[in-house]
Amino acid sequence: MNLNIILSALHVGGSVTDVERIAIKDSVIHSLDGRVKLITLLLVIVFAVYTTQLVVLAILELYLVTLLLLSRNSLKHSFLRVLIIIPFGGSIAILQPFVHGGTVLYTLPLGIHITYQGVMFGLLLLSRLVVTLTCIVLLSSISPMQEVAESFRRLGMPRDFSMIFSLFIRFLFLFYEELGKITHAQTSRNFDIFSKKTAYMWRLKMVAYTVMMMFLKSYERGESVYLSMASRGFSDKSQLYSLTKKEIDLNEYSFVITTLVLIVCLQIMAIYVFPQMGFIGSSIRI
Amino acid sequence: MHIPDGFIPLWQCAIYYVIAIIFLFFAFRWSRANLNERNIPLMAILAAFIFAIMSINIPVPFGTSGHMVGAAMVAIIFMSPWAGVICIALVLLVQALFFGDGGVTTLGANIINMGIIGSFVGFYGWGFLKKFLPKWWSIGVASWIAIFTAACLAAVELWLAGTFPLGLGLLYMGGYHAMIGVLEAIITVIVIASIERVRPDLLAWNRQKLVDDSESKSTQEIVSK
Repeated sequence: MNLNIILSALHVGGSVTDVERIAIKDSVIHSLDGRVKLITLLLVIVFAVYTTQLVVLAILELYLVTLLLLSRNSLKHSFLRVLIIIPFGGSIAILQPFVHGGTVLYTLPLGIHITYQGVMFGLLLLSRLVVTLTCIVLLSSISPMQEVAESFRRLGMPRDFSMIFSLFIRFLFLFYEELGKITHAQTSRNFDIFSKKTAYMWRLKMVAYTVMMMFLKSYERGESVYLSMASRGFSDKSQLYSLTKKEIDLNEYSFVITTLVLIVCLQIMAIYVFPQMGFIGSSIRI
Repeated sequence: MHIPDGFIPLWQCAIYYVIAIIFLFFAFRWSRANLNERNIPLMAILAAFIFAIMSINIPVPFGTSGHMVGAAMVAIIFMSPWAGVICIALVLLVQALFFGDGGVTTLGANIINMGIIGSFVGFYGWGFLKKFLPKWWSIGVASWIAIFTAACLAAVELWLAGTFPLGLGLLYMGGYHAMIGVLEAIITVIVIASIERVRPDLLAWNRQKLVDDSESKSTQEIVSK
């Protein structure tokens, strides 16, 4: 095992280049304006966090799956990404039955109770997590990072922040390229971070040196790139990406209106229809 | 330590966003006054560098997840906690939007925990500790305190949200990050020590020293003339 394995595990939702490769595709959803995609999907996330009914979250998930299919993304790959990310938040959701009071469903040894309210709240958290993560997977699958940076800038993000943000996104790829070179060099010299034949502190020191080397190599490269840009007249008032003035057309309006209508309908049904559907439609609160 | 979407109610998320935005406003003011053409790529690179460090995520049984932060390191390199706030905010934004690590609605809370608390506690902790401890020890201990405090605050936020009991959250989040903090401290010290050796000009304290030296030299020249 070597540093490459650590690197492959670094990105919980797929590697930087993988995510970017998926985002550069051609479909009805991909061709939508970046701002429209960003705002609409963020709205879905906010609504998913707001709602307390499982059925609402299930319908939202179905809508997101439809969008994934329309964007010609692999459902298998998308849900694998969601599954990889879930454990990090899911651990809290899974523990909910044990930490909340209420109607006891089962008592485990050592007096640990599993409560109905805890189970329901855990289910709610888990469902929210699935919906919001699907949303993020969808957003990252249909919007390249540059497009999102550009959308932020066009939506009024302060220039300083958007310039550093744009550079950061560019350096992200540069950084991984440098990291790849360093790890290849280490592998070729039989360096193994997990080998117990060497002292732990020595291995830790090697990792720290690797980190430092990555930092210095990337910085020096980044500095020369920046100075080249500066010598060509780049400043905080420059625009990093070519702004193709895209008009908001019928496709964008349809996407926004469909999503808004769905959210409004779901909210109305959440008040008048879903509560009569039993536990799946009941409002879960702690 | 990244709190995901749905774990904090929206009204609390709004409060955290307001606090984070106020701090970001002051961070931008600092960046306008202090960032020159050399510092801008450094900040972007540091953000990319921290992105990799923060991506090493391990689930914590009674918390969200555990990882290194790096806010204290940025704050110490730039000799300003505002630099850490900007870098961490950038990293968290990209992680939330593209990798699902941390949430969009909880971004404010995560910026407060890792960006604001991590940077301020790390920087001012270092400032305080260097009076009593050797330079590298003070950097290491301050980095450890920064990550530990940030983890404890995340546990408090989850408790305020009604998602997790305070005692268990503090015990497991704090306990786990106390261990992660040791790694963070060691790596922070080695990275800063190596930069000091290889590229001392990148460290703000050396730039300040250079300015002071040149000022005292020119004063001496004027006096001798």
